[in-house]
Amino acid sequence: MTPHLCPDLEVLFAELEEGEGPALDHAAECEACSAVLEEHRLMENDLYRLADPLPPPTLVASVMARVAAEPIPQRREVWSGVAILLTSLVGGLGYLLMNDQALGRFGTGVASFVVEGRLFAEGILSGAHALWSTAGLAVATTLAFLLLTSLLGLKRLAGNVPTPSEA
Amino acid sequence: MAEEAPPLPWKADVQAARRGDPSAFESLVRSVQRPVYGLALRLLQREAEAAEVAQEALLRAYQNLHRYDDSRPFDLWVLAITRNLCLDLLRRRTKVKTEELEPMKEVLPSGDVSQLERAIATEERQSLEEAMATLSAEDREVLALYYVQKRTTKEIAQVMGCAPGTIMARLFRAREKLRKKMTPAPEEAAR
Ligand SMILES: [Zn+2]
Repeated sequence: MTPHLCPDLEVLFAELEEGEGPALDHAAECEACSAVLEEHRLMENDLYRLADPLPPPTLVASVMARVAAEPIPQRREVWSGVAILLTSLVGGLGYLLMNDQALGRFGTGVASFVVEGRLFAEGILSGAHALWSTAGLAVATTLAFLLLTSLLGLKRLAGNVPTPSEA
Repeated sequence: MAEEAPPLPWKADVQAARRGDPSAFESLVRSVQRPVYGLALRLLQREAEAAEVAQEALLRAYQNLHRYDDSRPFDLWVLAITRNLCLDLLRRRTKVKTEELEPMKEVLPSGDVSQLERAIATEERQSLEEAMATLSAEDREVLALYYVQKRTTKEIAQVMGCAPGTIMARLFRAREKLRKKMTPAPEEAAR
């Protein structure tokens, strides 16, 4: 036996995982290391024979009873889509209105809307995307159209009427 | 056009469950209930708590189904939810009382056990379970996922949210601790 030459256990097991290496070669010759490997092999055999215990037979029924009281997951998806859509629209509207104070004229307002509108078109798209995958496409389109129309109306108003700071 | 990716057996059920088909979700629950409960019991070591956590984890899976990326294995996703709930509970438990964890009384299923499973339930297996029960939750978890559930280190890394290399090292350390517990008189010559 040559204890001072024995490899680190972590190295030995790493090589065992790979299937070859100098530490394994050493173990083949060394009584102490062979004993460790044999012990390890036996323990692994036992570990592999362990099985997950069976869950209580009532588990599935209990889960399903609670699931029945929950809203359908896709509903949430639709509502989160609507929430994203509304948030982006309100955000976009606020952004446009605020910037509009600096741009006095309606024409410039429209021009800026075209440019900045991209930001909010992205918002609409992200919201609409959630709805697109669901059956709510028609709802989304109508909603977006209504909101856009009212937004454009507001935009026009904001463009024509002087803002309080200008008055 | 042939799909490169392997088939995702859970995908159809997930999509149907999202549309509100309860039987689709039920079949998902059936497919994962055993590993989910098994992991919870290994971590919590109390049957009543494990059953409760398993139930909660499956309910949360349902509630968050719209957030789940169905290109990832469904079972690993639910196992990650289960694990987080268990760790929360363990944290609360140690906060409430710094009591020594009771070793698992009975991990073998009481009813519905096949003759073969009964035969495997040897004295050695009992003592292995006992030795495992004295390890830390972290060690039990990695051993249970690797040996009992036969997960790869990559899969375990997904459940535990860390690098696969970390799992290998953790597995080694857990195995070493277990080996020492299983060996009454450790041979110092190997060192
Ligand atoms: Zn040696």
